[in-house]
Amino acid sequence: MSTTAPHTHDHGDDAGHDHLHEGLVVEDDVGNLEGQQLADALLAVLARRGILSTGEVTLEIQNIEAPGTHLGAKIVARAWVDDEYRQRLLENGKNGAAELGIKVGEAQLVVVENTPTLHNLVVCTLCSCYPRSILGQPPSWYISKAYRARAVREPSAVLAEFGMKLPPGTAVQVHDSNADMRYLVLPLRPVDTEAMDETALRDLITRDSMIGVAQALAPSNTNPV
Amino acid sequence: MQINPVPGYHDIGGAAAGPIDRIELPWQHWEKQVEAMRNLLGDATRRVLSLDELRLGFESFGADKYQRYSFYRRRLEAMIDTLEKKGLLTREEVMRELATVRARWRAPEDC
Amino acid sequence: MSRTSALPVRFGPGAVVEVLDLPISGHIRTPRYVRHRRGEVVQFCGCFLNPEQLSVGDTSGPAVPLYRVRFRMKDLWPEHLGDDADSLCIEIYDHWLAAMTTPQQPPSP
Repeated sequence: MSTTAPHTHDHGDDAGHDHLHEGLVVEDDVGNLEGQQLADALLAVLARRGILSTGEVTLEIQNIEAPGTHLGAKIVARAWVDDEYRQRLLENGKNGAAELGIKVGEAQLVVVENTPTLHNLVVCTLCSCYPRSILGQPPSWYISKAYRARAVREPSAVLAEFGMKLPPGTAVQVHDSNADMRYLVLPLRPVDTEAMDETALRDLITRDSMIGVAQALAPSNTNPV
Repeated sequence: MQINPVPGYHDIGGAAAGPIDRIELPWQHWEKQVEAMRNLLGDATRRVLSLDELRLGFESFGADKYQRYSFYRRRLEAMIDTLEKKGLLTREEVMRELATVRARWRAPEDC
Repeated sequence: MSRTSALPVRFGPGAVVEVLDLPISGHIRTPRYVRHRRGEVVQFCGCFLNPEQLSVGDTSGPAVPLYRVRFRMKDLWPEHLGDDADSLCIEIYDHWLAAMTTPQQPPSP
């Protein structure tokens, strides 16, 4: 059975505007069992009808499990150390990823670069579009109604909830990933990382920094810049 | 004067909402299976269920069902609805199969 | 079979456009919060099959130009308190856009 994750906010508002009461709907053990059984039932029917095979499904699961944050981190680290690569990446993200042997399955990858005066944030208000073929699964909060509703309207407040405070004079640009493009934020390279090589830099690049709700990590500890 | 259709319940950019649940949930096997099946159904050899057909499916559930179900359960239900609509299977057939699947999940015997 | 045809590309970067509030039901990818808003095209993304048609299994096309359009946050949300330079970029299909000559926002509907 699905349950709603706990959330706190008061319901004292006027009736005039949309108000979402639901938190994220989360499956408990019973819900996950039901989901597994129903998915197995559907698979059995499709297999019996010859539309797909269980072997194909197993292989495809392996395909979708393979990508993860490490691929995005590889792209960002290369962009940090190689300025010409960075420019090619910004011009065409799919080709830039392909240069590193990373295949982007979606139509195109738009890489948006943070600067000292501009911070980028990515959301999909309509559903959950995310660069899955390189970053893997989005976090549950990314697909939550609260994030999808608020990120396009009050991004600074959303960032503050994530513990991010931008320096004054920094503009925020929100990207609503609503159609065929997928987005990757190129975070600012943290200070005091000049001596680090590309491989070491990858460890500073988190999933959240590539969505835009965090900065990349500072080099000597886990606190963000 | 044209009356525009009511916007979908999924079209929520800018709606008021509370704090963001910073929950991190593991990706379940059945959820991966749902995504894998959808990918295969939409691939070049089949083309029987595109992402947009799937999205129309859960955007047409009705607000109640949409809000009650988890993200992947919505997709699974929308897959069944849409495949039935296209005449590729029936929900009744899936439910009959579900009964068989459930019968295999026997409770453990008392030790 | 020949390639799907594509509609003409009407806008390039810098073009001022307004998002139409088309009376289309079903699966649409133009959210309500940008309807009637004016912005600037920042990128032509290419031509893609229309999701409105794809959602009902129609893959016959034509492909439609898709653009990234940037809006000022203060033009989208009257109560916006952040930086004046705050913006939002979103992808809009060609048939949802009308050419404008000035960036001035129309009065709220």
